[in-house]
Amino acid sequence: MRILLVEDTHDVGEAISRRFQQTGHTVDWETDGVAASEILSFTEYDLVILDVMLPGVDGFSILRKLRQSGSGVPVLVLTARSEVDDRVSALDLGADDYLVKPFDFRELEARARVLLRRRSGGEPTNVIICGDISLDRANRNVMVGKREIQLKRREIVLLEILASRPGKVFSKDELLDQLFGFEEAAGENAIELYIGRLRKKLEGARARIVTLRGSGYQLVSDDAA
Amino acid sequence: MFSRLMRRVGVVLALGAGTLITAAWIYARAAADDAYDRLLLGAAFQMSESLSVADGNLRFVLPPSAFEILGLANDDRIFYRVIDPSGATLTGYADLAAKADLSASRAAPIFGDDAYLGAPVRTVTVSHAMSMPEGPGWAYVVVAQTVEARHALASELTARATMLVALMSLFAVAGTALAVRYSLRPVDDLAAALRQRDPQDLTPLTVAVPDELSPFVTSINYFIIRLDERIKLLQRYIADSAHQIRTPLTALSAQVSLIDEQRLAPEDRRHLKRVQSRTIELTGFTNQLLNHAMVIHRFDSVQLVPVSLNDVARMAFRNAVPITVDPDMIVSFEPADEDLMAMGDMLSLREAIVNVIDNALRHGATARLEVRVRQRENFGRIEVIDDGPGIKEADWPNIISRFYSRSPDARGSSGLGFAIASEVATVLRGQLGFRERSENEPFCVYLELPLVRGQP
Repeated sequence: MRILLVEDTHDVGEAISRRFQQTGHTVDWETDGVAASEILSFTEYDLVILDVMLPGVDGFSILRKLRQSGSGVPVLVLTARSEVDDRVSALDLGADDYLVKPFDFRELEARARVLLRRRSGGEPTNVIICGDISLDRANRNVMVGKREIQLKRREIVLLEILASRPGKVFSKDELLDQLFGFEEAAGENAIELYIGRLRKKLEGARARIVTLRGSGYQLVSDDAA
Repeated sequence: MFSRLMRRVGVVLALGAGTLITAAWIYARAAADDAYDRLLLGAAFQMSESLSVADGNLRFVLPPSAFEILGLANDDRIFYRVIDPSGATLTGYADLAAKADLSASRAAPIFGDDAYLGAPVRTVTVSHAMSMPEGPGWAYVVVAQTVEARHALASELTARATMLVALMSLFAVAGTALAVRYSLRPVDDLAAALRQRDPQDLTPLTVAVPDELSPFVTSINYFIIRLDERIKLLQRYIADSAHQIRTPLTALSAQVSLIDEQRLAPEDRRHLKRVQSRTIELTGFTNQLLNHAMVIHRFDSVQLVPVSLNDVARMAFRNAVPITVDPDMIVSFEPADEDLMAMGDMLSLREAIVNVIDNALRHGATARLEVRVRQRENFGRIEVIDDGPGIKEADWPNIISRFYSRSPDARGSSGLGFAIASEVATVLRGQLGFRERSENEPFCVYLELPLVRGQP
């Protein structure tokens, strides 16, 4: 994925670009607001990581201009100002997420991953419902009744697979393929681990993940029974 | 101010009225005396005119008209005495004005006040030259009249004057009251304008006042402007210092994160771990410190608006729970059925809730964290429930005070989280509360805020 990083603090910019490069992304690093704004006008990116305080043009102006030009590229705003208003105005201006400095680099990576995934997903907005579990595929959030539950990415994917066809039995191999793809080497233990976590997080819902010995797992709604 | 002014005006008016009434009384007495003295004198003259000498003797015939004149005063009694030149009483009451010096009346009639038969009387003595056989001599006529009529007249005159003065005083008091009230109204308006002002409103006053009051308003406005500038300066200072502190701190943690642990000697790796954990600690502390300063000073200038507790709690929930949280942790959010509205400031309130959730994540929750919005009578509650050991009741007052750490090794905790939440709650007329862990219920920290009636 191609990422534009706009950050004028050298130490921070260096660390961010190095970290993303290590995970296989291409990072263009700009330290000047004017230059960044220009590059954005003719280059397509998958993610923009934007610092607010920049020499030349500030991050808000870049963001405003970007959205006015109709670009939908995900933007993650970094701010060091204490006024929380900055964060709100960042979201109002069309930022997809923000982080307040100083931040944990793992958190930055995780949030960037979420934004990149949302970019690549592109599924139509729809909600899968099973029992009182509802899964919004667009927003990637899961509700049990009126309770919103936070699930990890793979847990959501797993639930999505099971809930897309309630009652159908999915074998471990099937789940393994869909969940991890071919490039990742994960064992059947991983599936058991994720099923276990998901079960725990869905406790109290009117739908259950049922284990069928030898054949696999299915999601069963209590309402249907 | 009004009552003080009225009191002073009242004292002046009372003194004036007293003086006027006294003057009127003196004048009335003089006028009554003057009027009745003339009658008395007329009667005395008539009587002295009717003295004649016949056969060498002094004769006196009482002229009826003399008494008719005096009869004008109905209730008064009249006494008289006629004295012949030898000094003997010719007729009348011999003991009337017995001690008076009769000869003094030769020049002019003499008036005097006396008492006769137990009643106060007014006397007049007139003299009349007589040609007696033994030579010229002086005869005298003394007439006395009780003083009831003249007193009655004096009283009546005084009473009328008093009534007039009282009426005038009344008018003066009413007029003054109206004038004072009217003149003081701009002061009341000014006070009302200041009283009804939103505490966060630091714009200059725009109340129309008379010229006399405008220096006062100018001073108030000058003060407001100075206060406003000071607060803005403070907020800018906080924002700037936040930037100045956060940027190098981010750079520091960035550089630390770049160190390749694998290539370090075990001893160095241990030092790196120390640096990393201290950096995280410093990061958390800085964030809380700056947020605390920001949140607290925010209330100096921010106007409170109705805030949806569901929205603010959801936002705080998404903010506070990092994506990198332990995957085995069950984290959930449950909004209230109704949209509960409370007066507040979105950002400060969110910061408060974030701090409570953050605290639960760092120190409380082991496998479960729940954030719920509930209604409890007239209050809206944002509950943060975790399955951790909770906080002992004895510690509750301590942890909401600043810079208090529960354990000496509470890493990454500056002890400001609950302080921020509690201060925000207090400003919003709510409170930060705790519910102790029990058999059935896990530990809960909640923010309770009064709900707004007539929700928009």
